[in-house]
Amino acid sequence: MTNPLASVEALPEVGKEEQTGSKSDLAPAWLVICWNDPVNLMTYVTHVFQIVFGWDRQKAEYHMLQVHRQGKSVLARTTMERAEHYVHQLQKYMLQATMEPER
Amino acid sequence: MKLLRRGREFVFRLSRREHGLLVETLRLYPLVPPAHHRLSREGRAPSLVESQRLLDEALAEQRAAHRRQVQAFLSDPERFRPVDNALELRLAPAEIEWLLQVLNDVRVGAWLALGEPEQGAEPPVTGDNARYHFALAMSGWFESELLAALGVQESPDWVGP
Repeated sequence: MTNPLASVEALPEVGKEEQTGSKSDLAPAWLVICWNDPVNLMTYVTHVFQIVFGWDRQKAEYHMLQVHRQGKSVLARTTMERAEHYVHQLQKYMLQATMEPER
Repeated sequence: MKLLRRGREFVFRLSRREHGLLVETLRLYPLVPPAHHRLSREGRAPSLVESQRLLDEALAEQRAAHRRQVQAFLSDPERFRPVDNALELRLAPAEIEWLLQVLNDVRVGAWLALGEPEQGAEPPVTGDNARYHFALAMSGWFESELLAALGVQESPDWVGP
């Protein structure tokens, strides 16, 4: 993303809204990951996270910053079907998002 | 491009120069190659083959729909209304979302065409790539204006160039 960042003060819960049981309950789980790139605007990424996941500004910004600073952010841990849905939505906005099997 | 007011619609004022730049930018849509979209980087499950096909289909349908919408948008004589020496553009919230997606396709597609450069490391402008430099800059500028109208602006905590 464009423009480096400074610090993250707030640490909202990370992608747990889909997690309703133990790992084995949900196996095989899929991770929805957004990857960093130097082209998508930071404001744009924040906005897309708010639209796709319904997050508030603080949580969307937290994940945007994580993508930028750490190269990626796990946005959700969920079923294959829901992961496909999220990746479709994120890619419609041209974000570099993928779904990966949890190891 | 200036936001005049927001209610059920967002009303923008564009100079004729800005209008021309927006039209030229939108005419470049689509720029991202269909093969760009990958569902997974690591997944090897057979089920992902079908999932990838569904993603490709969904994005192809979206591309076709967006292309039709762009053509309708640009050919609608009521879309840009002359006011004094400028033009007034009215957009519903859903139209802003659509416009953001279209503009970002142009932006990402231009970036891919330029070789996926890091910020500030873009290749020199040549006759061959000038349109992509234009597309990268203008799409980003219009995106920023739309996002600002939605209240999404860079935070003071974001430090850097």
